[in-house]
Amino acid sequence: MSTAIDPTMTATREIEFRDALREAMSQEMRRDPRVFLLGEEVAHYNGAYKVSKGMLDEFGPRRIIDTPISESGFAGMAIGAAMMGLRPIVEFMSWSFSLVAADPILNNAPKMLYMSGGQFGCPIVFRGNDGAGGQLGSTHSWCVEGLYSNVPGLKLAIPSCPEDAKGLMTTAIRDDDPVFFLESERVLGMKGHVPEGDYLIPFGQAKVRREGTDCTLVSFGRPVNFCLDAAAELAKEGISCEVLDMRTIRPLDIDSIVRSVRKTNYCVVVDQSWSFGSPGSEVASQVHQHCFDDLDNFVHRVHSADVPTPYAFNLEQEYLPNARRICEAVRSCLYRA
Amino acid sequence: MPTTVTMPRLSDTMEAGTVIKWHVKEGDTVASGDVLADVETDKATMEMQTYDDGVVAKLLIGAGDRVAIGTPIAVIALDGEDASSADSAKPAAAAPVAPAAPEASTEEPVVVTGTVVMPSTHADTGARARISPVARRMAEELGVDINSLRGTGPGGRVIKRDIEDAAARMDGGAVPASTMPVVMAPAPAAAPSLPVVAGPGSREVAVSGMRQAIARRLVESKSTIPHYQVSMRFNMDPLLELRTMLNAQLEPQGVKLSVNDFIVRACALAMAQHPYFNASWAGDRIIIHGEVNVGVAVSLPAERGGGLVVAVIRNADQKGLRQISLDTRALAEKARTRGLGPEEMMGATFTISNLGMYGVDHFTAIINPPNSAILACGAAVERPVVRGRQLCVGTELDATLSLDHRVIDGAMAAEYLTTVRHNLENPATLLV
Repeated sequence: MSTAIDPTMTATREIEFRDALREAMSQEMRRDPRVFLLGEEVAHYNGAYKVSKGMLDEFGPRRIIDTPISESGFAGMAIGAAMMGLRPIVEFMSWSFSLVAADPILNNAPKMLYMSGGQFGCPIVFRGNDGAGGQLGSTHSWCVEGLYSNVPGLKLAIPSCPEDAKGLMTTAIRDDDPVFFLESERVLGMKGHVPEGDYLIPFGQAKVRREGTDCTLVSFGRPVNFCLDAAAELAKEGISCEVLDMRTIRPLDIDSIVRSVRKTNYCVVVDQSWSFGSPGSEVASQVHQHCFDDLDNFVHRVHSADVPTPYAFNLEQEYLPNARRICEAVRSCLYRA
Repeated sequence: MPTTVTMPRLSDTMEAGTVIKWHVKEGDTVASGDVLADVETDKATMEMQTYDDGVVAKLLIGAGDRVAIGTPIAVIALDGEDASSADSAKPAAAAPVAPAAPEASTEEPVVVTGTVVMPSTHADTGARARISPVARRMAEELGVDINSLRGTGPGGRVIKRDIEDAAARMDGGAVPASTMPVVMAPAPAAAPSLPVVAGPGSREVAVSGMRQAIARRLVESKSTIPHYQVSMRFNMDPLLELRTMLNAQLEPQGVKLSVNDFIVRACALAMAQHPYFNASWAGDRIIIHGEVNVGVAVSLPAERGGGLVVAVIRNADQKGLRQISLDTRALAEKARTRGLGPEEMMGATFTISNLGMYGVDHFTAIINPPNSAILACGAAVERPVVRGRQLCVGTELDATLSLDHRVIDGAMAAEYLTTVRHNLENPATLLV
């Protein structure tokens, strides 16, 4: 149920990405007593990244639960709770640490409904920081969307801005399927307008973040912001880019991509995961399938470099699908290189 | 890197071209679309345009030089480049017209000063044009002939902007050279050997490009091909009877077969048995063509400037009378109203000229190069004839073949006409 909101009051309110996440979780916890949050440092420390700041005070230790450093254990426990009817939110301090919980989160949660013949669902949200956080080194900089989007039965949301963080998180908590919710340490401090009250963004609906006529840029999560920077730069050269923020990878709003590519005839996919077997390669494949006769060049892709994430600051910047690399890809795609 | 301009393939049978006239000289600034030269092919003289902006660094051959397609003929320094960097480009030996197979590949890149120069067109050798999917779709929608384009994408790929540019040129009236109707290209008139004096009361009529092309090509044909004629008279009574019956039955379907449609089919079928009638003299060899494409001479109305074009019925030996009739009507109508595209006039391997509808009994025609024969048909006329030792009235048609004696000898011509006569006088054979 939506709460009536005075639009003049909300239009200018700007909060940080981390506040938007907290607002969504807190509102849902007030609304639904089945919702609870667990993870490392979420309670007494107010969250390793202060996303859950103040939530212990409001909801108490039965609903804001500090766990040991045991991802496989607490993820599995939460999946059991979800099967029994609760709606857990599991915070991974980093999605890099979810790898040790691969069996419960990949082998149990997404398959539960199928394998139990519909007896048990798994309404759970796994959330945490994804991707290069800034000189965290190879093992703590995982982009798990490449691995996890491969699995049927789960949903995967990846917001790029505070407004979407709230709207997608609310939808994730209310969703009856396991939702993998990918945040970025680098954007937790980003400020932006976020509607107050109940705010839901349906899954599978891309948003045109910038309209354009010459090239379609498809991205999700933090790299959407790289795309916007690149589009501003390319506009100086007379190249008008349309930036599509997919917001969810599963489900994928291919219709919006097709609509844009039919207009521009060019498509560049920007994805911070590695290129081989990635969401970017899936998007490219689907665009080639649906837009074959509309393309003037093959779909170009910009990914993180095909190496373990470097620790050095300058190397990490070059490793990422940054604005300069996006500009180069667009020019090449448009035969203007 | 300077761009090397090579002799383009401007018609499907072209193997070499002659630069009749350079429109630019070294040092001139040129922009994409500017005419560089008039190039004479085996069919006509056509304008050759530049696809690049820059400065003409070097002309590698002189006016009047004849070179094989793909031979470098000029170097254009692109904007900002030093024109002298093109100095190492060596002119190819003039007239290296290789006696290669007709499939002589022009797809092989010609390497000059380190630049890989892709062939400028893709119509040849059956190689697929490199073209992006959306460019292909747009070309169809906009009516752009992709074979006339030089792609600016990687490896010569034709891309969206090439189609847009070509469409813009079409809109602007500056039609790309090789999409121009062949006969519309200006050509130097064949000057008479004696001066013509304009006397009192005379007046001058400007000569159109088409008239120039007709003049030049037919002089070339008549003066280089050893023509001779062989005539035969056909009994047309069975055919006219069949035609009357077919047209009565086909009238509800809007089909009306002409005598000429039967002649096209009869000639095309006969070519399967007489392949030298579907052949071209090529200097040191004879090329027997794989397809039977029958050209039909179409006169143009005076308000379109008069003249004539040859419309081509492709694979006429594989088409039934109904299709031949439909194709001929559609092409003639288009020729007289909008004009034919080059692909509708190119590739004839045999030509038929029919003046029967004007009441002409008998005439001879000049061969349409590179054909080896042309059939001139008069009207089907009622005459006193002897049949079964009885004098009676019959309908007959006189047809005269003009032949290239380098390819076809008299006895071969007689055999061919005998087959044509058999086809026409037993017209049921034309139905199946």
